[in-house]
Amino acid sequence: MTSMPRIRANRYSVMTLEWPKDSGPLDSWLRLQCDKAPALMQEIAIVLKPAMEHTASEISEAVDLLDQLGIGLIGLTGDPQHRTVADELGLAWLSSNNVTVDPDTPEAVSARSPVPDETRNSALVIEGPVRSGVQIYAKDRDLVIIGQVSEGAEIMADGHVHVYGRLRGRVAAGVSGQADAEIFCLTFEPELVSLAGMYCGSDQIPEELWSARVRVGLDGTAQKLTFALMG
Amino acid sequence: MATVVTVTSGKGGVGKTTSSAALAAGLAKAGHRTVVIDFDVGLRNLDLIMGVERRVVFDFVNVISGEATLNQALIQDKRMENLSILAASQTKDKDALSEEGVGQVLDQLADMGFEYIVCDSPAGIERGATMALHFADHAVIVTNPEVSSVRDSDRILGILQSKSKRAKEGGKVQEHLLITRYDPVRVDQGEMLSKEDVCDILAVKLIGVIPESKAVLKASNTGVPVILDEDSDAGKAYSDAVARFLGDDRPLRFVTAKKQGLLSRILGGGD
Ligand SMILES: Nc1ncnc2c1ncn2[C@@H]1O[C@H](COP(=O)(O)OP(=O)(O)OP(=O)(O)O)[C@@H](O)[C@H]1O
Ligand SMILES: [Mg+2]
Repeated sequence: MTSMPRIRANRYSVMTLEWPKDSGPLDSWLRLQCDKAPALMQEIAIVLKPAMEHTASEISEAVDLLDQLGIGLIGLTGDPQHRTVADELGLAWLSSNNVTVDPDTPEAVSARSPVPDETRNSALVIEGPVRSGVQIYAKDRDLVIIGQVSEGAEIMADGHVHVYGRLRGRVAAGVSGQADAEIFCLTFEPELVSLAGMYCGSDQIPEELWSARVRVGLDGTAQKLTFALMG
Repeated sequence: MATVVTVTSGKGGVGKTTSSAALAAGLAKAGHRTVVIDFDVGLRNLDLIMGVERRVVFDFVNVISGEATLNQALIQDKRMENLSILAASQTKDKDALSEEGVGQVLDQLADMGFEYIVCDSPAGIERGATMALHFADHAVIVTNPEVSSVRDSDRILGILQSKSKRAKEGGKVQEHLLITRYDPVRVDQGEMLSKEDVCDILAVKLIGVIPESKAVLKASNTGVPVILDEDSDAGKAYSDAVARFLGDDRPLRFVTAKKQGLLSRILGGGD
């Protein structure tokens, strides 16, 4: 039996890099993000959304910069006047239809479980300690760490991240944009926390949660990290 | 079956060579046939600390490249007949240490009946260091009680558990933590990490705490491993560490600051 090529609808997780005109230099900001979570920045697919006021040459420079940093840019979105810029740069144009979905519509439900059940794999279980300089990425699955995660280590998953030990390194759950992913940790002292692209450094973590048993999720808008003590 | 024990740290100058010499001499003293190998190609100084620098004719790299036999290159210690030294080359470049060549030398040493092969690793994470790690059964992680040294040790532990032969074959290299240049007074003053802090960060079993000691410099100047200076604090601490490595349970010594006497406090003196 020969299989035929076919076109199917699919849902991939892509991040949008929103670039307002009045923001500071993109260069230093992006480098900072890459320093904070190098492996994460290499993994994600990005669509650049420049502000209407950005010129074609500014956009072209930004595209070069993303390329230099090894960030996977797949196209442009935003104001339709920039469509020609995308054509000139050989990038895809994604027309933005950013509708905010009501959490109860079926649309929102599927957005909340981006990994379809038939492809959700069993968790990746790692016996720690995970040492400084080590990166672990659980693709399309949850990550369970038994033991500690050192400062300078980086642990990531498309699904949830569980740490049965002391977490001192960087942690990212929902790496490809899964807003339902969460982080669970027995001793919470992270350098950096990221959930579905939202970041927070250790300086922004509420003091009473430091070293505690903590659960991290996203709030309803998926724009803010929420921290809770576990019983 | 020989046991390969690699002494490593990541950071330079923390006391790896001093500790390799002490560990090898201590194991030999405990009756085990032991050889200690200098992996620091280009910067050899294990031979100095062992007091054999004038007896080095052939070295580790000569053996690997077939210019000398292992028997020609091995230097037998004059104090203990069951202890031998294989010096590093001062001139050859690091690439001379091929995985195959190093593996063959280690196999040959095992065949000759050595029970312990102690590998003195160079600093850093380059060839010499990764080669010394590659064949390790045990690793002694030498750390000074300060943040940068501890962080580098953590990184080396990560490399050990991913790149070593044992790790690649699905096993685990056994880890031992040795804290050196420990100064309890400076720990109390908050200038150094405490041994508890270091253990907490690295989560590796502690086999010894070696105090900062003048005996170490004296020992290396005279070419006698400090563990053989049995009256010195560092010598005693190394003896304890070797005993713990061999499975003994001993309390830690030299880890608390001496209490200042009443008189010296009144007089404002100190030590
Ligand atoms: N316990 C100690 N007390 C005082 N000085 C010490 C102690 N341990 C080591 N030293 C000194 O520290 C210096 C470095 O020691 P050593 O050569 O053993 O370190 P190393 O880790 O092998 O260095 P490298 O990374 O260069 O190979 C030497 O001068 C040594 O005398
Ligand atoms: Mg050395």
